[in-house]
Amino acid sequence: MRRIRAELLVLRKRRSAWILLAVWVALGVMFGYLLPYLTIRGGNTPAQALVGVLPENLTDNVLGGFPVFGGVIALIMGVLAIGSDYGWDTLKTILTQRSGRVRMLGAKLAALAITLSVFAGAMFAAGAAASFLIATMESAPVSWQSPVQVGVALAAGWFVMAIWAGLGVMLAVLSRGTALAIGLGVLYGLAVETLLMAIAGQVSFLQAAAEYSLRANAYSLVAALGVPAQALADNGPGGFSGPFVGTGHALTVLTSYLVVGVALATATLSRRDVT
Amino acid sequence: MTARATTAAPTRPDSDEFAVVTKELTKHYGQITAVDGLNLRVRRGEVYGFLGPNGAGKTTTLRMLLGLARPSSGTATVLGVSPGSPEGVSRLGALVESPGFYPFLSGRDNLVVMARHSGSPITEIDGLLEEVGLSTRADDQFAAYSQGMKQRLGIAAALLGDPDLVILDEPTNGLDPAGMAEMRNFIRRLRHRCTVVLSSHLMHEVEQTCDRVGIISEGRLVQEGTIDELRGSFMLRVVVHPLTGAEAMLSAMDTVESVGRTDGVLWLKTHPDQVAAINRAMVEGGLEVSELVVERPSLEKVFLELTGKGDAR
Repeated sequence: MRRIRAELLVLRKRRSAWILLAVWVALGVMFGYLLPYLTIRGGNTPAQALVGVLPENLTDNVLGGFPVFGGVIALIMGVLAIGSDYGWDTLKTILTQRSGRVRMLGAKLAALAITLSVFAGAMFAAGAAASFLIATMESAPVSWQSPVQVGVALAAGWFVMAIWAGLGVMLAVLSRGTALAIGLGVLYGLAVETLLMAIAGQVSFLQAAAEYSLRANAYSLVAALGVPAQALADNGPGGFSGPFVGTGHALTVLTSYLVVGVALATATLSRRDVT
Repeated sequence: MTARATTAAPTRPDSDEFAVVTKELTKHYGQITAVDGLNLRVRRGEVYGFLGPNGAGKTTTLRMLLGLARPSSGTATVLGVSPGSPEGVSRLGALVESPGFYPFLSGRDNLVVMARHSGSPITEIDGLLEEVGLSTRADDQFAAYSQGMKQRLGIAAALLGDPDLVILDEPTNGLDPAGMAEMRNFIRRLRHRCTVVLSSHLMHEVEQTCDRVGIISEGRLVQEGTIDELRGSFMLRVVVHPLTGAEAMLSAMDTVESVGRTDGVLWLKTHPDQVAAINRAMVEGGLEVSELVVERPSLEKVFLELTGKGDAR
């Protein structure tokens, strides 16, 4: 527990963590509420679309941002959580402070998981505030979803972020730093998977590969929680229009990503010399 | 292919007398042999100087002792157990090369992070900051520290948890002369509370702080002993006339162990206390003494001879 507190202190006092949180929340509110609301007000979107940005659709509206944008933010957090320790030589200092390698990594992962819950919670809180504001301005009814519904959606959002963060941790440990890990992670998340989805329908074996991609499984998970497919397809450059997979398949594949990522990071960190 | 250093039983006699024992410790990086069959013994309670030119394998050895790097072959025991094992690491403090801390945290917060990782009481942090002279700057960001302050924070971190053994790798790197003197005094004070392994390539630093010294060159230990043992006996350099008469007379004196002759100069192996008596005897014996100098090879000279390097300072 004391090691986790140590890592939480590092993350809490790190400016880049706060910047990422601010960017994540600002992007979510802008693309999830502000821009849709402005297009509705401008008459470019049917007035009935307003219901999509009201409190009754909080989880549907907020969850759509987690599979790609939230994922990339989480990936960067994962990379920073341990990759910087190579550059600053703090890994060496910590390991000479009676902290075993696995225990140290465990503390970092636990602190990262707690931090990601703050990220997920902040997005839901910001979405709730934005939807409440819009409802008030439009004199629309304020009808909140049940706490269970919000809780499940929050857990799903956190889970998707955790998988991306695990990928970030793995890349950081493998590359012993931050720059290459972030570059590769973002390239994979935003370019490789986008291209894979774009051509998957035309090449049969790529269709199967797409069903095991992070994007397809993460979007399938949030779709299973009620997010409309059209909303996911309209989700900007990170949008997704299939292939969707079953919830069980999605949970299994996503959990496998997390387990493999963390296991690979742990094995590498345990065995490799700290130079 | 690397192998984990084997664990020595804590009950073995070595562990009582020696804080560090290595046997044929070797580390290869590809085709390069950084440490080559190193046999090292550091006694408990001493300040052990680990001396060698840049690239001799000092830091690689220390990394293996700390469990940061795995030996390719050979064994090492630190405080009776294998390097990096929780039992050993819990009684060990270290500063290896440059001190690594979070630049955005204050000195104090950095120590809090390290104390939480090590399980050391947070309450000892203020005392350590005071001890290394950082109390007034403890709440400044580490990034704003001078090199000397960073080194001192590194020492404070190494002393968290009151370790039995402290390993310091080039602790005066980047310090100004005053900072270096201060660091040497600090290391001398450390001898009263723990064993210290001090790695350095600075002769005067080692000469002024260490009880025993091991000299490493190209990954191998080429000499080990006290400073006096390494420097050898005092020699008396005598320029005198007539040479042959002086040689015969001095050879007959009980206080002179041996007499050598090179290029018209006599070299006497004797104790420095006997110099005045030897001088008087030569003058009273009618010899013309024009030069009488007590000489002893400096540690630097010994080092350069043993390592065949020219970059020692």
